[in-house]
Amino acid sequence: MLAFILRRVIQSVVVLFVMSLIVFSMINLVGDPVDMLVNPESLPDEIERVRRDFGLDQPVHVQYWRFMAGAFSGDLGNSFIFGRPALALMAERFPATLELAVSALIIAVTVGLPSGVYAGLRPNGWGSRIIMGGSVLGISIPTFWLGLMMIIVFSVQLGWLPVSGRGDTEQFLGLESSLFTLDGLQHLIMPATNLALFKIAMVIRLARAGTVEVMALDFIKFARAKGLSSRRIVRAHLLPNILIPIITVLGIEFGTLIAFATVTESIFAWPGLGKLVIDAIVNLDRPIIVAYLLFVVALFLVLNLVVDIIYAVLDPRVRLQGDEG
Amino acid sequence: MSTAKTVPAAKPGNARLSKIMQATLSRPTTLISGILLVLIAASAIFAPLIAPTNPYDLSTVSILDGRLAPGEEMFDGTIAWLGTDGAGRDVLSSILYGLRTSLTVAISSAAVALAIGLSVGLTSAFYGGRIDAFLMRVVDIQLSFPAILVALVLLALLGKGIDKVIIALAIVQWALYARTVRAAAMVERRKEYFEAATCLELSNARIIWKHLLPNSVSSLIVLATLQTAHSISIEATLSFLGVGVPITEPSLGSLISNGFDYILSGAYWITFFPGVMLLATVAAINIFGDQLRAIINPRLSK
Repeated sequence: MLAFILRRVIQSVVVLFVMSLIVFSMINLVGDPVDMLVNPESLPDEIERVRRDFGLDQPVHVQYWRFMAGAFSGDLGNSFIFGRPALALMAERFPATLELAVSALIIAVTVGLPSGVYAGLRPNGWGSRIIMGGSVLGISIPTFWLGLMMIIVFSVQLGWLPVSGRGDTEQFLGLESSLFTLDGLQHLIMPATNLALFKIAMVIRLARAGTVEVMALDFIKFARAKGLSSRRIVRAHLLPNILIPIITVLGIEFGTLIAFATVTESIFAWPGLGKLVIDAIVNLDRPIIVAYLLFVVALFLVLNLVVDIIYAVLDPRVRLQGDEG
Repeated sequence: MSTAKTVPAAKPGNARLSKIMQATLSRPTTLISGILLVLIAASAIFAPLIAPTNPYDLSTVSILDGRLAPGEEMFDGTIAWLGTDGAGRDVLSSILYGLRTSLTVAISSAAVALAIGLSVGLTSAFYGGRIDAFLMRVVDIQLSFPAILVALVLLALLGKGIDKVIIALAIVQWALYARTVRAAAMVERRKEYFEAATCLELSNARIIWKHLLPNSVSSLIVLATLQTAHSISIEATLSFLGVGVPITEPSLGSLISNGFDYILSGAYWITFFPGVMLLATVAAINIFGDQLRAIINPRLSK
């Protein structure tokens, strides 16, 4: 186990390093950030000065060297646009994204699990046909478009919910979140539902498949023969057995939620990480792009490692790569 | 190697294909989604012939026609069945042209990804050992990142343009093909015809090309179908975010993005209809792919 973890950590560091190299060398091929920064009418020597100030007059390998030297001391460079450390900017935006992703996860489970179990219990009923049809639709529907439709219906036509932005936040148990104010919740509900949509469809499919599989097993038949009520069978025998795979998959998918948040945040002008990076891509704000990428790569490497370890702990039959050697 | 010709490669079989055809015709869901697909493809191919106006011909587009509601008449007498956008372009025509861009991007990227994935997957299965371990590790790492994110990053690095979008989408998808075809090829490797081919000392290239490839490729049919749907939505999402196809050749995603600016003023049709087309396309492909899977592998259908 230890050998496995060590090997994976080393591998992750290599991946991170290779990514930084690729990202850094490739990003220097696209556009000239100085053009975005200076007044189009400024004099050539002024443009040169800006270029020097940002270190952009140096060859790529020198820039990369400076970046790496900074990175080891926890400095990923300053944003060209905001003139502040990229890491600090990301740290400021991260809570909003996290809040959105967690809310989406909660919505996905509370809606998806019961519908999926229901569809699994009555695979041929009308209700489950509608649910499964809905899940195909949920996978096919372009999420960003549905987000726009939600704005048209709930904000423009009905006027129930605010169009964009994050609402008031409040401290509760040391956590600052918009979950604790009415205004915050009103702002949160549309983006969170929008982000959750794809996951709802996924949870429904997983829950249904698990239910169909488990309900056919002998211990369920035995529980029936004992005369247990269906409610008790579902609660005590079915749910514990289907939950583990669902939770694991959701763990992996949490990273995808953070990634997909870029889209949702752009639609609803949610002030999170995703919005920050999309703006950075448009404005060629290289330090932010690089910092965001490295952050996301690191996040995914950690998530995957954790999931692999949890698998091994939950199911001893799983042999981890690296254990064999 | 004169004996080489006497080794028949196991045929994937026309019987299977005709079975698929037959099953397609006898299932209503498959048939309907299939017909819908054909219709969508046809309207994309023949867009210049069936579109009421050419939305990119600046001499006919008039700003005075801007934001007409669906069904209203444009200046030159044409009826804009789905309304017009802010610049006075007919939404229906834009959709037909946009569909073309969307499908071109999705299909070309699928073809490129398929070629890369097949080469990598077959190489991996054929040589095994370290090469296999290394290639599959790369696949694992790539697949651990969500497609949309990888594509977004690539486009941030590559810049704009249809070719760039195709490259990005191909890079996003190849790994899945590689993994699937490798799994199929690993099974084929253990079969007797493969052993026979190896015993005859056929060249590696010949074994891979003539024996391994034809027998492993059927595993990719369903995947390729579903992946095309997936890449249509990814492309739309990227174009919506403004990092996809350029404004000169808008896809369905760019049309939706264009309408985003008008939704607060109530001109819903500029975003609504391109989205409906996108949804119909993706859903038709997904449903057809699901049905195809059920036909090819009946065990999985329940």
